[in-house]
Amino acid sequence: MTLLLEARDLHFRHAPGAPEAVAGASLAVRAGEVVGVIGPNAAGKSTLARICCGLLTAFSGDVFLKGEPLQRLTRRDRAQRVAFLPQQQPHDLAFTAREVALMGRAPHLGLWMLEGPRDLERADSALAEADALDLAGRSVSQLSGGERQRVFLARAFAQDAALLILDEPTASLDLAHQVLLVNALRKRARSGGGALLVLHDLALAGAACDRLVLLLAGRVIAEGAPADVLRPDILSPAYATEVDVVPDPATGQPLVAPRIAR
Amino acid sequence: MKHSAATRAGLAVALLLPLVAAALAAGLATGAGELSLRAALNGQEPDATVLFRLRVPRVLLAAEVGAALSVAGVALQALLRNPLADPFVFGLSGGAAVGTAIVVAASGTAVGAAAFSAASFVGLLPAQLAAVAGALTAALFVFALGRSRGQLEPTRALLVGVVFNSFASAIVLSMESILQPDQTQAVLLWLSGTLGYEAMPLLAGAGIALLVPALVLIALAGRLNLLALGDEGAAALGVDVSRTRLLAFFAASAAVGIAVAFTGLVGFVGLVVPHAVRLVVGPDHRVVLPASALGGAAFLVLADALARVLFRGLGAEPPVGAVTAIIGAPLFVMLLRSRR
Repeated sequence: MTLLLEARDLHFRHAPGAPEAVAGASLAVRAGEVVGVIGPNAAGKSTLARICCGLLTAFSGDVFLKGEPLQRLTRRDRAQRVAFLPQQQPHDLAFTAREVALMGRAPHLGLWMLEGPRDLERADSALAEADALDLAGRSVSQLSGGERQRVFLARAFAQDAALLILDEPTASLDLAHQVLLVNALRKRARSGGGALLVLHDLALAGAACDRLVLLLAGRVIAEGAPADVLRPDILSPAYATEVDVVPDPATGQPLVAPRIAR
Repeated sequence: MKHSAATRAGLAVALLLPLVAAALAAGLATGAGELSLRAALNGQEPDATVLFRLRVPRVLLAAEVGAALSVAGVALQALLRNPLADPFVFGLSGGAAVGTAIVVAASGTAVGAAAFSAASFVGLLPAQLAAVAGALTAALFVFALGRSRGQLEPTRALLVGVVFNSFASAIVLSMESILQPDQTQAVLLWLSGTLGYEAMPLLAGAGIALLVPALVLIALAGRLNLLALGDEGAAALGVDVSRTRLLAFFAASAAVGIAVAFTGLVGFVGLVVPHAVRLVVGPDHRVVLPASALGGAAFLVLADALARVLFRGLGAEPPVGAVTAIIGAPLFVMLLRSRR
């Protein structure tokens, strides 16, 4: 099984003297796998995601993309191996949805950055994959938050990288589009792709991911199949709040419910 | 808009070339006196001299400067992610003003006289060289101070540029109090932007020199698009953000420097032309840059022709910088209002 991503013992702090945001975390994504990173606020999830795609550099530890050390790859090589979708998308872009999807082709273009007919086709098929083809001609600044998110997902798909790193990809998506995204990721996984998702929605994490990594204060405190991580004795202390986990009556997948007193 | 950027850029250029040609024709046809084209082409005087020594160089200069300022405006707006950035935003205007004022003040001294003869040997006035040197020094200064953690930070750079321009105008005001009235006049005329009559070899040289920054910026156009996604978004797509910024910054500064050397500070071209172009062709820099170069050339040639026509009765003409501002300011407000 090919390792699309392997991160070993990463350490990172945002400023000298600041506490470590990532303090010795390791994780891996194999081809064909969707891996979820969960954990409370400020656990280091987004920082870890950025280190894994080279946007931040760990001060110690190693990241390998398909076996190559990240630091040895050119920016272009890196962008061909991993596509990253941040939590927030720029909202004041004058570009149309199709133009934004086409931006995903950038790592495959030459010096003058001119796209060919195949890139135009790929941008449209990526828009279709994200259910955003009907938005193609509209300016991104006029779209709703969820529509914009789908357009930027299309940009990530159009990049044709084996590994997708998506930070909170479902936060602004309605239920139908959350399901659509998970299905798209699973389909990519079946054909050898992989994804690393930062997620807050634990029910979705349990349903969508093959493996979960629970992060707390920059460290991995639990890792494994959803059923092995989504347990009250693990989650309650990690999130510092009481949770119940019940099996989904239909699928048997663990469903996490916070205990809220009325 | 399902066509590739190359197709759309080609289309824009094909549509704009006739506009540039019409502007050039209008520029050649207007002037202080009547001109018979047939006589001029047959070599009859004074028509031939008026056409080839006066109008052709002036129209070419206007076209080159208009193109340079527009292209630089587009680049700086993309670089700073701010649509209000104009070519002089990096303190270039302040730097140019201080440089000019110093040289004008020194022109009475022996050192000034020596510099004057050395500079006129290459066909430029020392005031022009000083303006370019001042502008580029200011740009470097602002670029250095506008960085944080090794990255150019748009807001910081803009603020430093604004503060530097105010600082420079205070220095110029202080210097004017020690200058002779006619020297003050010279500085003012320079700062307001004037098109003169340059020698053809110099114009050809400037045109070739301008091609370098223009081509660099057009090559960077795709990356400038990605910068709109934010530094992180661009970096995730494989763009070397700081190198792109640095290259675009120096290319834009070089284009502005060459324009400033010939005409002083011609305002509003670099602001109005890119905005008008974006309104028509959209935000894609691969189309906006070549279209702005042509649009800017046509705009300044027409503004200069207008300056000559409007004030012909008075036997005088305002500096072209004043005309571009008089046309540009209302036009800019109109463009802003039309963008909802």
